[in-house]
Amino acid sequence: MVEEIKDANFSNSIKDSDTPVVVDFWASWCGPCKMLSPVIEEVSDELQGKAKFFKLNVDENPVTAAQFKIASIPTVMVFKDGSMVDKFVGFRPKDTIKDVLGKHI
Amino acid sequence: MDSRYDIAIVGSGPAGLSAAVNARVRNKNIILFGNAEFSEKLIKAPKIKNYLGLPDITGLQLKDKFENHIKSMNINITLERINEIYAMGEYFGLMVNQKMYEAKAIVLATGIEYTKPLRGEEELLGKGVGYCATCDAPLYKGKVVTIIGYNKEAEREANYVNELVKKVYYIPMYRDKPNLDDNIEIVEDKVLEIYGKERVEKVILENKQIDTDGVFVLKDSISPAQLVPGIAMESNHVKVDANMNTNIPGCFAAGDCVGRPYQYMKAVGQGQTAALNAVSYLDKQ
Repeated sequence: MVEEIKDANFSNSIKDSDTPVVVDFWASWCGPCKMLSPVIEEVSDELQGKAKFFKLNVDENPVTAAQFKIASIPTVMVFKDGSMVDKFVGFRPKDTIKDVLGKHI
Repeated sequence: MDSRYDIAIVGSGPAGLSAAVNARVRNKNIILFGNAEFSEKLIKAPKIKNYLGLPDITGLQLKDKFENHIKSMNINITLERINEIYAMGEYFGLMVNQKMYEAKAIVLATGIEYTKPLRGEEELLGKGVGYCATCDAPLYKGKVVTIIGYNKEAEREANYVNELVKKVYYIPMYRDKPNLDDNIEIVEDKVLEIYGKERVEKVILENKQIDTDGVFVLKDSISPAQLVPGIAMESNHVKVDANMNTNIPGCFAAGDCVGRPYQYMKAVGQGQTAALNAVSYLDKQ
C-alpha cells in the first residue's frame, strides 16, 4: 500500500522507520506519474513489510518538493535512517524498480 | 481509450515495415507508427547495390516498392510520434502528446539517432534538464526556462510553457524563423554547453550566456533509453538477444537501433525475427 504524505508529517515519517522508505513525488497533471503510480502500488504489495511506501503531491506540498529540489516528475526517492540513499527520475517498469530497491532492503 | 493492439511497431524504416508485414501475415492486430516518407535515410540513398534481388535500385524506388507492398496488405502508417512507452507489465502504454495507445507487445525500429547530446545535457538530466516540457513546466512557476528546439513542433510547447513560467528563452536549432508568442525571447546563437554544478545554472552560447533555472531539449527523435524507460542499452544501441528480445518481456527491437551494420537487409531480417517472436510471445500469453 502507498500512503499519502504531506509537508507536515514528512520528516517524521522518513525518520521513524525500521525499514527503507520509498517516496513517489507526483502531480495530477503529470502523465508519466499516472502510469507509474499503479506500478509502485504493485511493488509495494510485493515488498510488504520490507519497505514503506509514500507518495507526495508536489503541488500541494511545495516545501518538501523545494527541499529535495524536485526538477522533474515522477521522481522516486529511497530513504534510510532519515537520509536519501537513492533516487530515480521518470517512469520505470516494475522489475527495474525492484532492482533499485533490492539494493537497500 | 483506443482498443488494445496485439503489436505496436514504432518506426517505419525497413525494419519496422518488415515487422509489420510479418505480423500481419500472422493475423495480428497491429499498429505501425512512423512518417509518410517512411525513412529519411532510405529516400536519400542514391544507389543501393546490396539489396538482394534488386541491384542498382535507388532509395526512392525501393521506398515505392515498400509502399506498394504494405498497401497490398492494407497496412497503414499512423503518422504520430511516440513520446514515451510505459512497460505496465501486462501491456505497454504508448504516449502521443496527451493520447495513449495500448499494445500487448512492442517492436522498436526507431533507427539510430545521430544528434549528439549537448555538453552537460546528460549530466544534468533530471537536475533542470528535461525532454518533456509539458510534463515539467509547472515545476518552473516563477522561474526562467530555456527551450532548445530542434523542430517546429517545439514552438507549440514553448508557447505552452510561456503561459506558466516567468520567462522563456527559445534557441532554434533550425533555419526557419520561429513562430512564437511575443514575449518569448528568441536567441539565435550556437549552444556550446548546458552548465551547472548541482543543477542547471546557465546555457553557454558562442556569443552570450543565459542564466536559467531549467532547460528543455526538444528533439526530432529521442534515444531508446528515453523512449522506453528501463530498457537496457549497450553503448548507444538497444541490447537484444538473437531473438530480438530486449530486457523487457514483450518488447522487441530491430534494425539500426540494435547495432551495426547499418544495412537494409539486416534491418529487414531483424524486423521479421522480432515480429515472429512477438507473435509467439502473444501466443503464450
